[in-house]
Amino acid sequence: MVAAKLAMLIDTSKCTGCRGCQVACKQWNDLPAEATRNTGSYQNPPDLSPDTLTLVKFREIEKADRVEWLMFPWRCMHCAEAACVMVCPSGALSHNPAGFVSYDSGKCIGCGYCAMFCPFNVPRLRADTLSGKGKISKCTFCQDRVLNGERPACAKTCTTGALQFGSREELIAAGLSKVETLKENGFPEASLYGHDTLGGLGVTYVLVESPEAYGLPLDPQVPAMTYLWRKVTRPLAGITIGVTALGLVANFLIARRRIRAEEVRHGNP
Amino acid sequence: MVTPRARSPRAVRWFLGRIYLEPATDVTTKTWPRVARQIMVFSTGERIVHWLHTLAFFVLLGTGVVLLVPQLAPFATGEAGMLTRIIHRLGAVAFALVPFLYVLLDPEGVGLTIRDLFSWSRRDIGWARAAVAYYFSGREEVMPPQRRFNTGQKLFYCLVVLSIPLFGVTGLAMWFGKGWLPVAVLQACVILHDWTTIAVTAMFLVHFALSVMHPLMRGAINGMLSGWVPEEYIRSHHAMWYEEIAGEQQEPAPPAETLSADQSAS
Repeated sequence: MVAAKLAMLIDTSKCTGCRGCQVACKQWNDLPAEATRNTGSYQNPPDLSPDTLTLVKFREIEKADRVEWLMFPWRCMHCAEAACVMVCPSGALSHNPAGFVSYDSGKCIGCGYCAMFCPFNVPRLRADTLSGKGKISKCTFCQDRVLNGERPACAKTCTTGALQFGSREELIAAGLSKVETLKENGFPEASLYGHDTLGGLGVTYVLVESPEAYGLPLDPQVPAMTYLWRKVTRPLAGITIGVTALGLVANFLIARRRIRAEEVRHGNP
Repeated sequence: MVTPRARSPRAVRWFLGRIYLEPATDVTTKTWPRVARQIMVFSTGERIVHWLHTLAFFVLLGTGVVLLVPQLAPFATGEAGMLTRIIHRLGAVAFALVPFLYVLLDPEGVGLTIRDLFSWSRRDIGWARAAVAYYFSGREEVMPPQRRFNTGQKLFYCLVVLSIPLFGVTGLAMWFGKGWLPVAVLQACVILHDWTTIAVTAMFLVHFALSVMHPLMRGAINGMLSGWVPEEYIRSHHAMWYEEIAGEQQEPAPPAETLSADQSAS
């Protein structure tokens, strides 16, 4: 097992958008290519899907009369406070002590709650609408590789070193110093994304522009409904049913005794 | 007169003793004459609809509660979990269709029931005031006369009627809405579906306890089994309705065959 908490650091200033990670992910997870269509962007396929667990996002921004490209691989963020783990009824999603959100497709029942509650809209459901039979898909942090001492396929294949994998502590330190370097070299908006959100994400980004420019949520939160369902509804069910049942037992015992007493008092015909 | 059930286990005998399946038993003396006059309270259609809805409810509760009780997690995971979900969907279809079956089987009964469900008056406040003395101490004199359904029954039936669209809308959203409905709507549906379940289940327990276990209601269960309830029961529990129908329904006791058939069935 892995002693230190692991993480990935994605340095977008080094990403060339080669999509090597996207292909390596498909290769390792044995996922097919997808029929796609031109949407006017190099982002291809247009979105994550059950067959595309890692997608290189391409965003175009205008900067000093020039169009600039922001490119970065996008997948499950492996939150420490993961809404998907809180709502998953089957135990298919769970926290691995090594610092990522593990997925066991054998346990998944395809309910899609994780997709409903994920603050990053990452898990993708493939299920038959009528019967509901199906499975969810998301990046597993290459749990089968990582737990056997290998790097995730995407990190191993990354040619520019944009995608680094290792001890979370070291990567955060490296990320923060890279942000400083970027700021000193004409990127005042540079920041480290995700090192302290949602309990610390397992995937952190060195961003050269503001998170909005990348389409990343500024302050992602576990949806309040998650707590309402997990922390309020469950106890509410137990208390309501329990109090009702106890009340009825008490009613039965009291009524049985008193109504017998009444009979005796009134006398029966 | 209760037939001795010598071979039944003690717990079963005790339970049957509580619910009084004999068609002619008593509220107070427990010795109503077997030939006591009976009144038809629920038509065959209503009884079929009631028990089908009960069955669908149990299927739905049993397959739904796996999400709320951590000890039942094995039924919410892997292949078993997928089967649980499919059974839940079949139960949902039955639960939603049964009211339509009611309209088909007994349109007159639907009208009668709806009329009672939506007639609320000061008498209902009287029921609420008298409820504790009545249900705990059996003080029948403080309870205002009731119609075919008393206030408590109306509350439960209204909740059941309300639960069908609540379960239906939230359930259909979760069934067919994934992927295109806004996630906030889906999240709200998950919670609303569960809260409806909690309310209906709590009220179901009350319904069960009062109609089957409560000492004052002995004989009531017959209304849902054979359809017949002793006239005396209706006179004391549903006096207003009794007056309404006293003129029309003057049938003697149901034929002897019916009686014995009911007994063997129960």
